[in-house]
Amino acid sequence: MRFVFKTNYRQDVDLFEHNGQRFWYGLLMLALLVAPLFLGTFYLGELALVLIYAIAGIGLMLLVGYTGLVSLGHAAFLAIGAYTHAWLLTRGWPFPLSLLAASLFSAAIGAIVGLPAMRMTGIYLAIATLAFAIIVEQVIAHWETITGGYRGMPVPKAEFAGLDLSGPAAFFYLCLLITVVCLLGALNLLRSPTGRAMAGIRDSEISAQSMGIDLARTKSIAFAVSAGFTGLAGGLFAHKLGYLAPDAFTLLTSIQLLLMVVVGGLGSMHGVFYGAIFIGLLPQGIAMMRDSLPSAVGQLPGLEPGLFGLILVLFLIYEPLGIYGRWRKIRQFFEEFPLYRKATHKRQKQYLRTERVR
Amino acid sequence: MSEAILAAQNLSLSFGGVHAVRDVNFEVREGEVFSIIGPNGAGKTSIFNLISRLYDCDSGDIRFRGASIMGLPPHRIAGLGIARTFQNTELFEHETVLKNMLIGRHVHRATNLLGEILFLPRVRRQELEFRKVVEDVIDLLDLQTYRNKVIGSLPYGVRKMVEVARALCIQPQLILLDEPSSGLNPEETEDVSFWIEDINQEYGATVIMVEHDMNLVSRASNRVLAIADGEVLAVGTPDEIQTHPEVLRAYLGD
Repeated sequence: MRFVFKTNYRQDVDLFEHNGQRFWYGLLMLALLVAPLFLGTFYLGELALVLIYAIAGIGLMLLVGYTGLVSLGHAAFLAIGAYTHAWLLTRGWPFPLSLLAASLFSAAIGAIVGLPAMRMTGIYLAIATLAFAIIVEQVIAHWETITGGYRGMPVPKAEFAGLDLSGPAAFFYLCLLITVVCLLGALNLLRSPTGRAMAGIRDSEISAQSMGIDLARTKSIAFAVSAGFTGLAGGLFAHKLGYLAPDAFTLLTSIQLLLMVVVGGLGSMHGVFYGAIFIGLLPQGIAMMRDSLPSAVGQLPGLEPGLFGLILVLFLIYEPLGIYGRWRKIRQFFEEFPLYRKATHKRQKQYLRTERVR
Repeated sequence: MSEAILAAQNLSLSFGGVHAVRDVNFEVREGEVFSIIGPNGAGKTSIFNLISRLYDCDSGDIRFRGASIMGLPPHRIAGLGIARTFQNTELFEHETVLKNMLIGRHVHRATNLLGEILFLPRVRRQELEFRKVVEDVIDLLDLQTYRNKVIGSLPYGVRKMVEVARALCIQPQLILLDEPSSGLNPEETEDVSFWIEDINQEYGATVIMVEHDMNLVSRASNRVLAIADGEVLAVGTPDEIQTHPEVLRAYLGD
């Protein structure tokens, strides 16, 4: 077990708690950097997809895991990012500018969607965002002059300054770079006043207010930042798909994204990555499983969404802290090995809270 | 006699037919410890919620340093230098003590969203400054052991302390304590009177507290306001209040 003896306030502000973490994250980074040397095109593509999910997940985690606002409509932001990016590229915008604009446009829409969030929480907000996603889906399907409707819309090749970014290795590096930048941005936000204000809103709106936190403003910011990250992921996702059609951004996609942050572990950025790996690989797993199942079950059309839903429910019941929560428990077990008590993670007694002011 | 830091004028509040606060007038002087006592349902916490702007009053006015606060939204109150605690603690459960206290510094931030995402040197400097203020409060209230503990894992007495600590991080001129001793054992209650003195003397904050424990009230406070059924019964020193016939009648009946 490691005890970190802090001698400077800087250690409380720094991203890494000790040199051990620096070493392991450095090693992970190195492994990812050399991955294209060892992985084939297929696996590299899968890895890039996991990274894209992770970027969207960072956005959704800020909203759901840190601000406590549930969104069932994040596929819409993914779609807005993807279509905006593809459309701007066909207009001849340079790649980085187009991607940035897609992200900012998505963030602007997010800020607007965040407005009703000031009055709604929990299930009502989930329904409102769901409605928003359906509206966006319909708009995309019918605004044929821009989006091509159900016929779809080809995505121009990713290239910048004569550099072809569409090859498997180049695209993977692009996704990796953007993931790292997004992750750092999110972590920075979380160790700053705004990020803490978000967590305050999640845990107690009434006392957040008495601490001087502007609920409406902070929620709106959370929505905008979240949508911005997801829109960015959408831009990359467009290249991954190669051809955009409304059926790539359905309710199922929204649920997948939510599944990712819940299964990964709400309230931790580690969870985003565990969740991204999980939902990145799950469809492959289901596809493989289909073949070995009796055809009556294996060919059921709703098998995939059904399994997604089932997994979500099971996690909510048995491991609300997700894969990351489970991992922490396992690690603690080994760290404290002979002394680990079974009740360590039992939910503590809940004390009475002030009656909510209405 | 020092001047009034907070003044309530003809304050009234009702929920439907229930008159929670009726035509209440009082003045709190700069630097004093002012207690509000009264039987259950007398309207003590309602007065606090009016001051924090969580409730809108039906009529009357609250003035802080001479300026009315009635037009301000709730989140602007902390910025004026008015901090509060809650009767049954309202902490940020999933965060550590340190984070909770840092949220108390929220009103003093001078950074914007973009700067924070990039974590510019200014943001880092500000974080280090915040951290230092927080540490001073930790020292004052002896919370060193709990710095990195998540609130969910703390015993009730410590939570109450953390809540006061968080309020102090605002560096308020006026602090509202809602039943600081409720749910504490006699020993902890004893401590409460000491740190109220510390807050008052060392931090120079004016204290208004709602409290049931008359021992604590008479030891810690300069003046006491007694209310019942939303109406003021009497204002005076703790000794005067304890022998005031109206107050005795409210507590003991005729």
